[in-house]
Amino acid sequence: MIYTKICEMLNIRYPILQGGMAQISDAVLAAAVSEAGGLGIIASGNNSTKAVRAEIHKIRELTDKSFGVNVMLLSPYAKEVSELLTEEKVPVIITGAGNPGKYMKMWKEAGIKVIPVVPSVAFAKHFEKAGADAVICEGTEAGGHVGELTTMCITPQVADAVNIPVIAAGGIGDGRGIAAVFSLGAQGVQIGTRFLLAKECGVHQNYKDKIKKAGDTDTAVTGRKTGHPVRVLKNRLVTKFKELEKNNADIDEMEALGKGSLYKAAVEGDVNYGSVMSGQIAGLINKEQSCKEIITEMFEEAEKIMKDLKYAVGGGNE
Amino acid sequence: MILEKVKAILVEELDVEEGSITLESKIKDDLGADSLDLFELISKIEDELNVTIEEDDYGKLITVGDIVNYLKEKNNQ
Repeated sequence: MIYTKICEMLNIRYPILQGGMAQISDAVLAAAVSEAGGLGIIASGNNSTKAVRAEIHKIRELTDKSFGVNVMLLSPYAKEVSELLTEEKVPVIITGAGNPGKYMKMWKEAGIKVIPVVPSVAFAKHFEKAGADAVICEGTEAGGHVGELTTMCITPQVADAVNIPVIAAGGIGDGRGIAAVFSLGAQGVQIGTRFLLAKECGVHQNYKDKIKKAGDTDTAVTGRKTGHPVRVLKNRLVTKFKELEKNNADIDEMEALGKGSLYKAAVEGDVNYGSVMSGQIAGLINKEQSCKEIITEMFEEAEKIMKDLKYAVGGGNE
Repeated sequence: MILEKVKAILVEELDVEEGSITLESKIKDDLGADSLDLFELISKIEDELNVTIEEDDYGKLITVGDIVNYLKEKNNQ
């Protein structure tokens, strides 16, 4: 049985967090993940406090297990949402797209576990000093907003630099990925793309079908120029983006094209002109399963691989 | 003295020529730092000069001169 410090800290059976995917990770998905033994995460995205509060109340009706909320610090509601989470005393907060430093004290005083997503060693060390309970290092293989470093490179370097547990994200889609990042020093994983195909995930069926059909080379990163690079599945929207980038279009024009495009794909099901955010691992992901099936299958596989590896390096001798 | 130390860190972290750094140089616009570089820079300065730069003050550090003045003020406190 795989049991790490992350399980103990977050009070969960399996050291797995479901990624907070904006406009997709709602209370229903998060509750299913938590019920299955992982940590379900509600994405607050650009949502108002009213919407976030409703999701928190909903998940508390659906499960009595622990859960988390992801705060997108670039959101216009970041401050209000941060205060709401304190008031609601949510068990875990994941932060992304910015520096949570100014909220850290308030959250810690409320007894909340705080886990920032970090793009580099310097950030990881800084947040450790500021009181973070763990950090998530997310490689550029991930879907949505991404950095430059790969999971393979950032994970061991952050693991060496901090004393708090490290959770790896980006590019993990099955038990092999889990075993790999554990070798790199991670004590937990955060997974997004595979949960898009969870039966409990309410994203539009067209979005799911697009993930299922995707192959290894089907993602692209748009918006490197705007300073907000995003990994998505290639489609007509991406072709348009690439054209604009090639013609040195101005940043406003590119941002206008991106505006509302995630809603278009995730809710309306327009996978041609919507933004189908996905990790590079989409090529490996093609089954619709329940959250419980996804989690137990992945960890059974990871455990078997770890045992097999031990056998392999022993030349067949125990 | 502080300026020399800050310059040395900038040269090292941002791969710029020392001669191109003046007190007026903007860290992002003129010296080409992105937000990750800026953070790295602040961590380096904190370590090497043994100071703590308050997070609320990050936004005030636009030019090399801003950093130098900030550190001087800290020294006087």
